[in-house]
Formats: sequence, C-alpha cells, structure tokens
Amino acid sequence: MKFTPKYFYFLFLALTIVSCSSDDGVGKDEEKPTISINYAEGFPQACEQLVRGETYTFRARVTDNMALASYSLDIHNNFDHHTHDDQAGDCDLEEKKDAVNPMIFIENYAIEDGVASYEINISLTIPEDVDTGDYHCSYSVTDETGWQSRTSVDIKIID
Amino acid sequence: MYRLLSIWLCVGLSSMAFAQDSFRIEGSVLNANTLQPIEGANIVGKGFYSVSSSTGAFKIKNVAKGRYSLTVSHISYRPKTVEVEVGPNMEEVQILLSETTTTLEEVEVYGDYEQEKAKQLSTVSQSVSKAFLDQNRENSLMQTLKKIPGVSTITIGSGQSKPVIRGLGFNRVAVVQNGIKHEAQQWGNDHGLEIDQYGIEKIEIIKGPASLLYGSDAIAGVVDIQPSKIPFPNSFGGEVNVLAESNNDLLGVSAGVQGRKEKWYYRGRVTYRDYGDYKVPTDKINYENYIFELHDNHLRNTAGEEANASFSVGYVSDHIKSETFFSNVNAKNGFFANAHGLEVRSSDIDYDSSSRDVDLPFHKVNHFKVTNNTIVSGENHTLHFDLGYQNNLREEHSEPVPHGYMPKPSDSKERVFSKNTYSLNVKDSFKPHKKHDGVVGLNLEFQNNNIGGWGFLIPAYNRFAVGAFAYDQFEVNPDLHFMAGIRYDYGFIDTKAYFDWYPSTVNNADGSTSYIYLQRARDKTSTFANVSASAGLSYIHKNTTYKVNMGKSFRMPLPNELASDGVNYHMYRYEQGNLDLDPEESYQLDVDIDHTTPSMSVGVSPFVNLFDNYIYLNPTSNYYETLQIYEYTQSRVFRVGGEVRASTTLFKNLGLDASAEYVYSRQTSGPKKDFTIPFTPPLSGLVSANYQFKDFFFLSSPRLIADLRVTAAQNEIVPPEETTEGYQVLNMSLLADLDIFTKNPPVRLRVKLNNVFDTKYFDHTSFYRLIDVPEAGRNLSISLTMPF
Repeated sequence: MKFTPKYFYFLFLALTIVSCSSDDGVGKDEEKPTISINYAEGFPQACEQLVRGETYTFRARVTDNMALASYSLDIHNNFDHHTHDDQAGDCDLEEKKDAVNPMIFIENYAIEDGVASYEINISLTIPEDVDTGDYHCSYSVTDETGWQSRTSVDIKIID
Repeated sequence: MYRLLSIWLCVGLSSMAFAQDSFRIEGSVLNANTLQPIEGANIVGKGFYSVSSSTGAFKIKNVAKGRYSLTVSHISYRPKTVEVEVGPNMEEVQILLSETTTTLEEVEVYGDYEQEKAKQLSTVSQSVSKAFLDQNRENSLMQTLKKIPGVSTITIGSGQSKPVIRGLGFNRVAVVQNGIKHEAQQWGNDHGLEIDQYGIEKIEIIKGPASLLYGSDAIAGVVDIQPSKIPFPNSFGGEVNVLAESNNDLLGVSAGVQGRKEKWYYRGRVTYRDYGDYKVPTDKINYENYIFELHDNHLRNTAGEEANASFSVGYVSDHIKSETFFSNVNAKNGFFANAHGLEVRSSDIDYDSSSRDVDLPFHKVNHFKVTNNTIVSGENHTLHFDLGYQNNLREEHSEPVPHGYMPKPSDSKERVFSKNTYSLNVKDSFKPHKKHDGVVGLNLEFQNNNIGGWGFLIPAYNRFAVGAFAYDQFEVNPDLHFMAGIRYDYGFIDTKAYFDWYPSTVNNADGSTSYIYLQRARDKTSTFANVSASAGLSYIHKNTTYKVNMGKSFRMPLPNELASDGVNYHMYRYEQGNLDLDPEESYQLDVDIDHTTPSMSVGVSPFVNLFDNYIYLNPTSNYYETLQIYEYTQSRVFRVGGEVRASTTLFKNLGLDASAEYVYSRQTSGPKKDFTIPFTPPLSGLVSANYQFKDFFFLSSPRLIADLRVTAAQNEIVPPEETTEGYQVLNMSLLADLDIFTKNPPVRLRVKLNNVFDTKYFDHTSFYRLIDVPEAGRNLSISLTMPF
C-alpha cells in the first residue's frame, strides 16, 4: 500500500487555522460587580455600635457593568475572633466568650429588572434578647453572569 | 457481546497450552574498556527483547532452537549485533560495548525496542524513565512531571499536586499504578496524589482519551505508573537517596532494596520526608481587601511530613510472573493559616513560633494498597491479571467555628473520608494472525466511600463499574499499523442520604418558623452505560513517524456532581448537585508527527476535542441563605491545542531542548457560553540547555542544565477565576557522578537551584492562586543517591 504523508500536512494546516481563528466572545461579561459602604449613607461603618431594640437601615451601594442580580446580608457573632473585616483600621474587640443566644441574620434578596446600579436598603431591628458583643456584618452581591463581590465590617451590639 | 465472551473463553482455555521446546538465552553486557556491567542495555532479537540489569545480566525466555542475531544497544554506547546459536546446553553470551562520544539526552525515553513499539501505536503517549525522574525530581510526583509538554499540575503548597493533562485534571485524568487505578478523593482541590514518587522506574503518560483501555475517568489522559522490572537472578542491590532543600527546610530520605534468588524476588522501600513552611518572595499577601503580613516570608502553617513504606514479593518462571505489592503512604500537611479556602481566619494559635510544626487547619491522609499482577504466558496468548484493594483515609481538621445556623462544633474533625476500592482487571493479549495483535479485557471495580466529621460536602456512596473491551493492531507493513478498539461500560452509583446534625431556621410560607434538620443528600441509585471506541494509524517514513488517532471517551459523574447539596464555607459557596447529569462524553482527534535524526528531533502533537456534556461547577447569580449557589451543570465544550518540541545537540557537548504547550477552550452552550472552562492553563514554553563538562576532580561526567520556563498571561477565565499575569522563571541544576567508594557504583549528585532570581509569580492553576499567594521562592536542593 502506498501512503502519502501529504494528508497529514493538510490536516495539520487545518488544525493550525482552526486554533488560530479567534472568537473574541463578543459581549462576554468579564467584570465583577462592586459593593461599597464607603459613602456618607453607607451603613454600618467599621466599628459601628448598634443598640439592642433599635431599628437601623442597612445601606450599601452596588454597581455592575451590565446587570445586577441578587444580594445578601449576613450578621453573625465574632465572639471567638475567628476573622476580621476588610475595612481599613482595626476595631477593639472584647474578650472572647461563648455564644448563648447570638443574633443571626441570614437573608438574600433579588434585584429586579437587571439594573446596573442599586442601593441596598434593609430595615432591621436588633432583637432585645440577643447576646451583646462583637459581630460581623457581611454584604455580598452577584451579577447576572454569576460574578460575585463581598465586603464585611466589624460591628458591636451593645445595650 | 456473545462473540466477545466466546473469544474470551476460547482465549482463556487455549492459553493453558504452553510451548514445549523452548530455551533461554542468558548473558551479560559489559563496558569494553572497563569490563564494568552496563545497566539498561536493550537486547533485541526477532520477536523478543530484554534489558540488562544493574549487574549487566539479561535473560530471554521461550526462544525456540535456532540461530538468532541479537542487537544490543545502550544510549551511551555504540550498538552491536551478535549471532547466537540457541539450543540445549548453550553458554552464556557476553557482549562488550564501546562508549560513544554523544552526550546523554536529558529526557531519556525508551530503549530501542520499546521506542519502536511506541512508534507503531497510534496513541499519543510519552514514556518517562527513572533517569528523568531522578534528574528532575521536585517535591511531588506531578511537579516532577510538569516538564513534559502538555502536562501541568494543580499544586497545593509545596508538597502536593494533582495531574493536569492538556488543561483537564481532577477525575478526568486516571492515575494507574501497577495496572490498578489509584482511587482517592481526586475531586477535592486542596490535596494531592498519595503516591510515593521514589522507586518508580517508568511512567507512561497518555495525552488523550484512553477510556478504551482504562475505562471511566481516563477522558483526558492517563498517568500510568508501570510495575518495576524484575531483578536479575541471584542479584541483590539497592540505593539510598538523601535530599535537603533550603526553601522549606526539607529533609528527605528514601531507601530501596531488591533481590532475587532464582525464581523468587522481593523489593522494599521506605521514604520519609519532613519539611517546614515554604517561603514565598513577598512579605505580605494582598487578598481582596485583606492584608496578611508574613513572618520571614514563610507561608504560615504549610509544613508537613510524609512517611511511606512498600514491599513486594514476586515469583517468576518461564510461563508465570506474579508480584504482590503492599504499600502505605501517610502524610500530614498544614494549610495556609490566614485563609482556609477563601475564608479569612484569625486564630490564637502562635503559628510563627515554629516554621516546622503543623497546626490547624491541616489534613492527614493514609493510602494503603495491595495489588497483585500476574502474567501467564502461553504460546500465543498472554494473560494478565491485576487485582487490587486500596483504602484511602483522609481527615481534614480545622478550628471549629459556628457558620450560618451551625453552632460551634465540639472538635476539629471537619471532614473524614474513608474509601475502599476493590479492582480486578483481566486481559488477554494474543496473535490471531501474524499481522494482528489482539487484546481483549475486562475491568471490574467497586468503591465504597464513607464520610464523617461536621462539615458535609459529598454523600457516602457505593459505586460499581464493569467494562469489557477488545482491540486489534493490524500491521499492514512494518511501517504502517492500524489500531481499532471498542469498549462497553456499565456502572451504578448508590448515594446515601445525609441530614444536617444541627437544625436550620426555615421561614414557612404561612409566616411561621420551623427548625429543621435539613436533608443534604438523598438515597438514590443512578446507573450509567457507555460505549467508547478508538481507532488510529501510525506510519513510519524514514526518520519521521506520523500518527493519527480518533477516540471517544467517557466519565461517570461523581457523587458530588450528582448529589452535593451543601455549604462549602471555605469556598463561600453553596454547592448543588444534579441527579440528572449524563456521563461526560468526549471526542478527540489527535495527530502526532515526530522527526528524529541522530543530531536533532522535532515534533508536533495537535489535538481537537469536543465534549458533548462537560460537567462543571457553575456559579449562578442566586443565593442560598447568604452563600452564592454554584450548581453542577453540563455544557458543550470545544477545545483545540497541542504541543511542539525540538531538540538538538551542538558542538557535541551542548544539548538544547525547547517545547511549548497551548490549549484553547470554549463553552459553546449553557449558562457560561463563550467562556473558557475552569483551570485552563496558559500558553507556556520551556527552553532547556544542558552542557556536559570534562571530568573535574572527583566529579565524573558533570552536566549543567538550565531550564527557562516562559508562561504567557492567562486572560481567558470563567467566573469566579481571576486573570493571571505571565512570568519567566529560571531553574538550574548540576548533575554529576562521584567516585568516592571505588568498590561501589558511583554516587549520583544533584544540586538544583529553582527560581534562581526569586521571582514573584503566580501559577494560574495553583490552589493558593485563589487567595493571591505567589509560587515558592528560590530553592536550593541537594540530592545524593548512593547505589549499592
């Protein structure tokens, strides 16, 4: 049987062409949304002290290059100092202690209509019976593509 | 199916008839000048071959009476052909070889016979020798193999890594040791391969779909760690290797012995390594808005230790070879203390008091393995039996912290996985016709995976798989071979139900609140069946080898892909499985063209690959509680890429090698259409120069090697990945033999300087890349290997 290696060169050429032809993925979203509490109305600010029984409005500004999708707010205790926030400067933490009836707030919300800019605005009353002490407050936001951004801040719940 | 079965039965029975009038050729290969034995010389005759042992001895069995010509070759010697008369009472053959002046190739692949065989196969594979492993040894097996074009790794700290072949890793690459698929928690991204990298003589790396022979999981390729060669009769030998490294203050020792009487032989090896936290060329790590100050450039709590032992006993006679291999690999590794996964952690533990201790978080793993490989050779049939049992026990410990509705757990045992795997492979190689080489085989595997600890990721499960295959290699003429094969697999996965150990608060539609122990996994049996196939040809024209191969491979979905339903706090995500996933199917066309002359070699191996239903963990835009939901999704994926390589020898003593690898991936359907797939390695090249000096004092044949790795930026990412900048990193090494003890073979010395300029760079596929931890800084290592 006579065999011509010519075909291999053809094949290789074809592969080269295929591999070099680029599709630049027009409209592909490669940007994460942003989230910030660093503006006058942003709440809570780092080391903020929240009083039991009071009602507060939690506010953060979120933006995206295309379309925002959902956000969440998580408040949990930091009695064991397990982590710290991502804000500039450190807050003074109290002594470590065990949780008895810590405040837990775990909620998520949708952002309608695929807007590119939004202000999170959650009204929340700190229950009278929760443990006082160090807490964490974390926001997160996603865009429609599935990119996510987070931010967290150290706060205190006091009497 | 009936035909297959009848062939198999027929073969099984007929192989019981053995050849009668066969003789053996025994002899030795010696250096013509020094009369020292030559190890690793290939002795090739018509229809048989052998390789000389460390004593220079070789033996060829089952040779019919007659006159034969033997060609004896070795990479450092001039080949020689001798005539032998085979019959009763024949004498030992002594072959003297003269040294050649050509230098050793750095990547030494194959002896002549095996090289010839490999050329005839249509699969694109690369063989890695012990010499390559010794010369390039890094902290883990896969890091050592990274130098091979098309092979990359997912590394976790300094001592652990996982194989990636052409951009696909985890369960898409099958790792096979002694014929048995290595089964651990391959899906996990924060631990490595539990295999002792010492004592391995040969690894075959298949860069392409290989389900035909290896079943599920071999969809992207195979790292096949082959059984070591049998020691020669009445021999005893061994080696001790000691290793010290500066970057992580590693001390390692590995010692192996092997011996043989007439028919019985044994091998044994122990390896112990202990290392401290590794150093990175930065004093602080900037991850999102967090800053971690590093003490003395040490990546806090990444120390570890590893203690391995293996023993095997074997029997060899004219028709039977059987070896039973026991091994145990035990390792404990710390994880970076400031962030576990993506989760930033503070702790009271004084990590900086010692760079050698392992505090929380850490994992420990023990892999116990027993395998038996038996080969029964008859006149026309060779039966291979591989039997294996392995237990993988892995524990992940971290400081207990309350998360979500989960209260603070009472201990540090976050995850425990205990997996038992039983395997049986039966294979018959036979020659139905002088132009055909046929193989039929059967693989059975049963896995039983148990879970424990307070963190839930994957359910307990049982998995059973059976596969049968047949293939034929047809020799049209000595330069043209066709190969085709087909395989059928059937399997089931039986996942077990799992409920949280703590109640979660659930707000009901009617406004009331319930406290529920949420169900994370259901009892469910999923069955899978798949046909895979492969066909190809190899054509050898003078110094050029052409190969084309087309294959279809598959992978059974993993239990975590099917049944995850839990929170992975360390990755800040909620992982959602999908019970309706289909087995992954992949079609690949491979081409390999290699042109090798005595003075140079060039090669190119492009591929095109299509996945019908590639499974990956897709970040959605929704939340579960306050964690982003990631769901296992399937999409069509198109991939194209390949490797190019070239090497030449200049001025007799200077060898130059260059290679480059590239993969382009696109999802062509699904929620991440137009994005790449996770962990796509960037375009990367390796330029290597090695120079052989004249003997110098007590250094004999010293060689200096410089490797420059040039990697482009990776801007092709898929959420939640980050782009990674390109880099250049230089590694240097000096290899030499030391003639210290005149009675013994020379001691092999290797001095290696990795990351010569202490360059700060990021590896796109490294686990710690996620938290912006650069790769290890400058590392000086000294290794001494003392054979005896």
